[in-house]
Amino acid sequence: MQATDIKAASLMPRKKTSEFKEVTRHLIKNRAAVAGLVIIGVFILASLFAPVFATHDPLRTELGNRLQPPTREHILGTDELGRDLFSRMLYGGRISLNIGIISVIIGLTFGVPIGAVSGYFGGKLDIFTQRFIDIMIAFPGILLAIVIVTVLGVGVENVMIATGIASVPIYARLVRGSVLAIKEQSYVDAAHAAGLGDIRIIFRQIIPNCLAPIIVQSTFQIATSILWAAGLGFLGLGAQAPTPEWGAILSNGRAYIRTAHHLTTYPGLAILFMVLGFNLVGDGLRDALDPKTR
Amino acid sequence: MKKRSIIGALGLAVLMLALAAFPLASRGQVETAVERDTLTIAIGAEPESLDPVKMTSAPAATVGEHVVERLIYMEEDGTLTPMLATSWEANEDSTVWTFEIRQGVTFHDGAPLNAEAVQMNLARFVNPQVGAAYAFLLGSVQDIQTVGEYTVQLTLRQPFAPILSHLSHSFIGIVSPNQIRGIAPEATFENPIGTGPYVMEQWRRGDSIRLSVNENYWGPTPQIPNLVFNFIPEESARIVALETGEADAIMAVPPQDVARLQADPNIDVVFQTSVRTIYVSFNNIREPFTDVRVRKALNYAIDKQAIVDSIFQGSGFVADAPIPDAVFGHTSVGPYPYDPDRARQLLAEAGFPDGFSMTLHHPTGRYPLDATVAQAVQAMLADVGVNARLETREWSSYLQFTAQPPDQAEYDMFMLGWGTVTLDADYGLYALLHTRQWNPNGNNRGFYSNERVDEILDAARIETNPSVRRPLYAEAVELIWNDAPWIFLYNAAQINAVRTHVEGLIHHPLENLSAWDASFR
Repeated sequence: MQATDIKAASLMPRKKTSEFKEVTRHLIKNRAAVAGLVIIGVFILASLFAPVFATHDPLRTELGNRLQPPTREHILGTDELGRDLFSRMLYGGRISLNIGIISVIIGLTFGVPIGAVSGYFGGKLDIFTQRFIDIMIAFPGILLAIVIVTVLGVGVENVMIATGIASVPIYARLVRGSVLAIKEQSYVDAAHAAGLGDIRIIFRQIIPNCLAPIIVQSTFQIATSILWAAGLGFLGLGAQAPTPEWGAILSNGRAYIRTAHHLTTYPGLAILFMVLGFNLVGDGLRDALDPKTR
Repeated sequence: MKKRSIIGALGLAVLMLALAAFPLASRGQVETAVERDTLTIAIGAEPESLDPVKMTSAPAATVGEHVVERLIYMEEDGTLTPMLATSWEANEDSTVWTFEIRQGVTFHDGAPLNAEAVQMNLARFVNPQVGAAYAFLLGSVQDIQTVGEYTVQLTLRQPFAPILSHLSHSFIGIVSPNQIRGIAPEATFENPIGTGPYVMEQWRRGDSIRLSVNENYWGPTPQIPNLVFNFIPEESARIVALETGEADAIMAVPPQDVARLQADPNIDVVFQTSVRTIYVSFNNIREPFTDVRVRKALNYAIDKQAIVDSIFQGSGFVADAPIPDAVFGHTSVGPYPYDPDRARQLLAEAGFPDGFSMTLHHPTGRYPLDATVAQAVQAMLADVGVNARLETREWSSYLQFTAQPPDQAEYDMFMLGWGTVTLDADYGLYALLHTRQWNPNGNNRGFYSNERVDEILDAARIETNPSVRRPLYAEAVELIWNDAPWIFLYNAAQINAVRTHVEGLIHHPLENLSAWDASFR
């Protein structure tokens, strides 16, 4: 199927703008995808303008005012140290979005060239690379991320690196599959015949033609990375206190789940909706980019 | 054929009926608690081992002391009473101690308790080949001899005042000589054979330990025939177990759940002091903590009372000395009042009018609410301009990280706790604050050093007269307090909860929960 959409895309290289318009049109017709876009939009706006919307300093503790349920003063209540949960959640959204986007960039930067080179040249290089990728895939992503964080040390930056590295094998496998199909296309033969170098062919002819699956995968991967990061934060391996990371807030709130459930409910819902948003958009993009379904 | 199918159908019907009845039956059991022959206690951690030479934690001690007994027992108030030793006396300079061993006591395997059995156990405990984690408890012992069938003699290298409280330590248990003979010196065993009121029945790894009553116990036979310790690490799961009656008693109730449990008429919440002090130690040989003004300033910057009142909901005590007040040798010298202005002023005098930045290391999940406290400390330090970056590690690597020798120690400040379980100041002060105990030789991880304090601590461990030791420790405590090598925080309290139909449990300050006197109402 991937081969087909790539073929479709490659058959109309000059109509790039109309292809973009086409995809957008189909995406907007898809209600679920629009809902996803709206959710993501809200989260991005809230994160960008966190300092504007925040009602309190997210790090300011007030021990006399801890574990308060939601009130007019504290919209989502206060946490175990009397910090304003709403303000912490706003800043936490920044961290989650950052982690999602940066880890995807890391995954793309390494995964796409590895997969492309491996698929394009084939032979021993391919076998060697793919067995290595096999080893990485053998670990569930979150486990791989835990191992990497354990080696690198805890902290938000390392979580980005860890979730990024953990997504490298996914991209490498995906791109390799696409490349195997694309390199049999006649325009690649034509490029060879025209005397283009291998590297040039990979970057100018092949990678642009497997963009569709990469874009779809990246959308899903942002959601997955956010979830992994929240998981790491929950385990205490992610953002360190007092950084308001959602997973960490959820983990701290767990001890108070029966006396102050707002500490787990709201960060839990936030993670749920952010991940849902990216997944809905991902689904919509997949349909919109596939000529068969539109 | 036909007959068989009828039998089959009948069997099926019976099975279905049984299945249908099962939830009803089990619910009835919980509500009425018909079977009152088993007491179930839920604890937060599984013992690492029940072999005396391998035990290192309070949960291990709690389970172990029901099976294995020691020579001397320490009562809740710190009084030392005879257990397997009936009497003891020292020679004039307190270097030779003679213990009379209780007669007519047998181990669970039938072996008699005598001087030889005691000698074998103590010798195993101090044997370097065995490598007992707490061998230092008997570090002053030079020789252990039997001098009669029921008499054991300990010869010390030099007088050692707390020797009796050290012998009362839960880890110096006496197990059957057959068990020791049966294994190589460096080997350890899982299920100890002791003389205690309960006998080891079954250890289900990761789940529970089941004990049954020792009918031949030398003391009063316990009333409850079976005792089960369930390991439930998750705090909320432990509380649910108590509320549903699955457990009759639980240890380590988180403070935030106290109010809810107190509202339940079937549950008693028990507060008991603990001998554990929680502190944040400075790296006393690293700038800027070499300056006593900085160390004092940070003590003034922390609102200890607020931490105890709000995070611990009042269960706990602000530390007024480096050791808790239940410990012999304690003198109240503190606390440092909460005074941020004073802190800022002292920092300015020390050359830090705008404060400074450093890293505060803390454990997560080792002590109740430790990470929450670390965050509160961090926020209060920020108030006086000291910018602390928090860093946590997994417990065993945390202990390693804070055990580096002085030239390799990479920390500014770290949070730790210490339980003075012998209730003697020597155990708390010598191990943590004597210069000879600097990493990697001991537990002085903050590299505190004061010549006069060293002198006093040395003198007080040799001196055996309590009325001489007490003022010595008073002086040491005051010197340490004024040097402020730590941010003195609080003495944790233990919170246990028991269903009201159980009485007679002993909630010991040493963080043990003992059931040999317990009964059902």
